[in-house]
Amino acid sequence: MATVDETKSRLLRGVVQDNIDVLQGFKLQHRRRRRYLAKPWWLAGLLLLGSSYLLRPAGVVSTAHTPATTANPAAAAVNLDQTPESAGPLANPRPIDRGTIPLAIKRIVIDPGHGGEPGAISASGVSEKEITLDVALRLRRLLADAPYEVLLTRQTDRLIPLDKRVAFANENKADLFVSIHVNWLEPRSIRALETYYVGPSDDPATLKLASMENKDSGYSMSDYKKILEKIYVDARHDESRALAKTIQTNLYRTLKPINPVLENRGVKSAPFVVLIGTQMPAILVEISCLSNDDEVKLLTKEDYRESIALALLQGIRGYAQSLNGPERKGS
Amino acid sequence: MEESNETLCVGIDLGTSRSSISASNGERHVIDSYVGWPVDMVARKVVKKPVLVGREALDNRSMLDLRRPLERGIMKEGSEKDQEAVQEILRHLINVAGIKQKGKSKSRVRAVVGVPAEAFRVSRQNLRNTMEGIADSVMLVSEPFAVAYGLEALLHALVIDIGAGTADFCVMQGRYPTEEDQRTLPNAGDSIDEQLDKLIRERHPEAQFSIHMIRQWKERWSFVGEPRDRVVISAPVKGKATEIDITNEMRAACESILPPICETMLDLLSKVEPDFQDKVRNNVIVAGGSSLITGLTDAIQKSLLDLGGGRAIVVKDPVFAGSDGSLAIAKDASSADWEKLSL
Repeated sequence: MATVDETKSRLLRGVVQDNIDVLQGFKLQHRRRRRYLAKPWWLAGLLLLGSSYLLRPAGVVSTAHTPATTANPAAAAVNLDQTPESAGPLANPRPIDRGTIPLAIKRIVIDPGHGGEPGAISASGVSEKEITLDVALRLRRLLADAPYEVLLTRQTDRLIPLDKRVAFANENKADLFVSIHVNWLEPRSIRALETYYVGPSDDPATLKLASMENKDSGYSMSDYKKILEKIYVDARHDESRALAKTIQTNLYRTLKPINPVLENRGVKSAPFVVLIGTQMPAILVEISCLSNDDEVKLLTKEDYRESIALALLQGIRGYAQSLNGPERKGS
Repeated sequence: MEESNETLCVGIDLGTSRSSISASNGERHVIDSYVGWPVDMVARKVVKKPVLVGREALDNRSMLDLRRPLERGIMKEGSEKDQEAVQEILRHLINVAGIKQKGKSKSRVRAVVGVPAEAFRVSRQNLRNTMEGIADSVMLVSEPFAVAYGLEALLHALVIDIGAGTADFCVMQGRYPTEEDQRTLPNAGDSIDEQLDKLIRERHPEAQFSIHMIRQWKERWSFVGEPRDRVVISAPVKGKATEIDITNEMRAACESILPPICETMLDLLSKVEPDFQDKVRNNVIVAGGSSLITGLTDAIQKSLLDLGGGRAIVVKDPVFAGSDGSLAIAKDASSADWEKLSL
């Protein structure tokens, strides 16, 4: 039987090693003893095929049958360039420095949320679908001067199912996907900005929001959660998070002087269908709250919507510049 | 941080609601995890400080850009102000512990900081980066593990650390816990606040109250099971102070966290090696601010009956159990280990 001191010494070695691993950028997964590590073929398959191919929501019709590649070269490089450590060839992925592979953002898909159906509606009758389309059109105009090709999932007030939006982005081999939404939050006094990237969430409020946005997609929330728990090694997750962070920071920095009571709720992960199915770094941004009358007043002003679009542009450019790639239009 | 005269170890429990520090110089302090900056020059003149931390920030909130920068036990991301606020909290904790941060005689600080059991790698890295300039070396440990280490509950024990942002679980089996031994749930003190807010607003739509009032009521009167007394609070209704009985709402809100906590506990216990399940079941240790909810351990113990019974106890000092445990780790780690984790 080990003494208390011996046990403490063993535990301390574990603490120090765990911290060194974090410091060196190892994924914490290598300490896991999950069942799937005993079946490296399963994980290898997931990584090689690209998460979105396997995770495409039921009913998605995609002609872009490119399972062995991803739209983001970094994602492919990270997934394939693994160093064996302990539990199989792909069990311990090591992140690579983004700077080693200059990447270019060439094509951006902007997704104005809702359409056909209104989405959230304010007490005064302003609908989410109008605001998201207006901001998306403004963003497209602003991006016209930037070296990117911009595609919109909708340009008019029409219903586009979520799976079609996902297929549109994938088929067009977009390098970024930005979905624009407007929140509805209780209590109505809340005036907040938040940006989501793909991942599981245990937050009931986030799950409720994802559930509403994922309406009629065919998957249950518990399905999403289980699936997403397994794709943490996907590099797209880290890239989406970086994009979300840049966009959220720029939005808050731009809008706070105009809207001093605005709350920065930061970036969060959530299982939105449009984020799971897309094969490129993807985010969903909630640009305001239609539940708050003062926010609605601001949203009805052209200047404010223009500021939102400008902040989104700055966020996209900031992310693109962080990749160190040449900027050019088209593929 | 060159020219250090002395080396001090600190254990920090960076909590969503409260943060505590235990230092090797004997100092122990707890503060509210709030930071506020004066909103304008007038406010700056009134509060006489560029930044306020803890209770002082909360009390002067009407004049401040007030931040509660931790969410579910980790730093909010994407918000530079919140990251700055976390730095202010850490700096303040080091300061109130009497540790010199400037000058030739400044101390060399080795800090162990508790994080939620399942905090992501990126969150841990962010926190490490935030500690730069505040400590010389940093270790991050899971909060329930720190509690277990401090109590020397190293073998056949289950620690449940219920804070404001998260409830963290850790099964101790004499080895460094793997991910299977640990869990994090978002069902904790903050979710009780949200639930209580919702329930009172539904039943008393005319009553006026803030989230800060909700938190005060909960800290004073929270309970699960049968009430000992009625919970009657005073809140303005159309500006007039009015007494409102919130006994049922308080009970319902507090009991809302029990099912996920008990379910997770039973699940973790069922995964312990069969030979030792009985021992672990009889050694359930509850810590964290929310462990002070009246009747909570009785309810947890009752749920253990499903597995044949067991024993749950609350730690003697729930507020400092995490930081004391972190301090114990900091003191036990060798200088060579600390060198490896320098900032």
